Amino acid sequence: MTSTQAFDLKINGEVRQVRADGATTLLEVLRQQLGLNGAKCGCNQGICGACNVLLDGKAVRSCLVIAAMAIDREIETIEGLEQDGELSPMQQAFLDTGAVQCGFCMPGMVLSATALARENPKAGVEEIRDAISGNLCRCSGYVKVVDAVRRVTGA
Amino acid sequence: MGVSLHKPETIEEAVRLKSEDSEALFLAGGQTLIAMMNAELVEPPALISLDRISDLKGIDRQPDGAIRIGAMTSHADIASSDQLIDAHAVIGEAARVIAHPAIRTLGTIGGAVSHGDPNADYPAALVAADARFEVVGPGGRREIAAADFFLDYMTTELQENELLKAVILPPAPDRSAGHYEKFSRVDGDFATASVAVTLLLDGASKIDWIRIAVGASGPTPVRVPAAEQSLQGSDMGAAAVAEAAEQIAAACDPLDDVRGSSDYRRLLIPRLVAKAVTITKSLAEA
Repeated sequence: MTSTQAFDLKINGEVRQVRADGATTLLEVLRQQLGLNGAKCGCNQGICGACNVLLDGKAVRSCLVIAAMAIDREIETIEGLEQDGELSPMQQAFLDTGAVQCGFCMPGMVLSATALARENPKAGVEEIRDAISGNLCRCSGYVKVVDAVRRVTGA
Repeated sequence: MGVSLHKPETIEEAVRLKSEDSEALFLAGGQTLIAMMNAELVEPPALISLDRISDLKGIDRQPDGAIRIGAMTSHADIASSDQLIDAHAVIGEAARVIAHPAIRTLGTIGGAVSHGDPNADYPAALVAADARFEVVGPGGRREIAAADFFLDYMTTELQENELLKAVILPPAPDRSAGHYEKFSRVDGDFATASVAVTLLLDGASKIDWIRIAVGASGPTPVRVPAAEQSLQGSDMGAAAVAEAAEQIAAACDPLDDVRGSSDYRRLLIPRLVAKAVTITKSLAEA
């Protein structure tokens, strides 16, 4: 494609039109064009994990995905986890455990955990720790995050 | 206005697009390139995505036991491959400790190798594996040995307009083993130092051959043939290993940076080498 174009992305089961050039990231279109502000722009370098979304079910950094490379793929953001007004089991577990402090890292953390639980529904503590290893929480509340995920995986 | 994005479906088309616009950059998994673009360290007028070129993906075992890894194969696929056994395990082990899960989903071996960062995990592992790189360009195809590929910090033998097509690992005999030992401050960080080893034991459990490459310890992976030869035919007693490790460490030129002072790294490297070769030998015996 040449420079800026309009194209469709499939986000949380809906087709959404965006306009972007070949350098525009998925994170930019989510936040600036679609009002999906759950994914956060922390470092914009792929370090912090606050922008994580699911691409075809796998956790990825939306700041390191060119928006136009996500055409024809399934994108899920934190906004898409709720079903019929009910939080997803993972979201509910984070709430019940009190794992959320300032909240900035939480969308990315919940999505990393969601990808893990789908791939490995009985993930143990080591697997949980590995899955969220790329999600920085500067409140340093990792223990309760692991506890929350354990509620879902039964570890 | 804005940056163009091309999505060729063949290698030939990708090479042609690059030769028509030398300032365009190949986009592999993007886990380094897009971060550099976000930081405005590079501002290419166009990207040539390699994502749709199916010839560049996958891990295939050749009839002779060699392994061919397409340049666009992700770290996650390499990390979970059951084809990388014996000496080839060094590559799977390196892939498993690259950054974090979300980075490994999209990051590719071809992108990482072409970037030429000696602090990354594949370069030392590929040198220890005696890998060859298949490269294509407007002039055709050529192969480059891993040891000749990495020239300096972020500098490789890859010429402008050339594209890395595949990484080829030579056959790994039975009783060979490979191991990648990474020392980093926290999981997912670049290595403070790393050591990649492959070796083959003979019938008497002595070293038939051994290759040791040190990463994150200079502008390119460090290999010292004399130290490797000193271990040949030995059963790798502690004294012989320590001497070879010191010899290898003396050839390293580690950086002074946030991941460790060069003095600290000089103390670390021989210990890490000794640990890595000892683990690799026990893997070969298992």
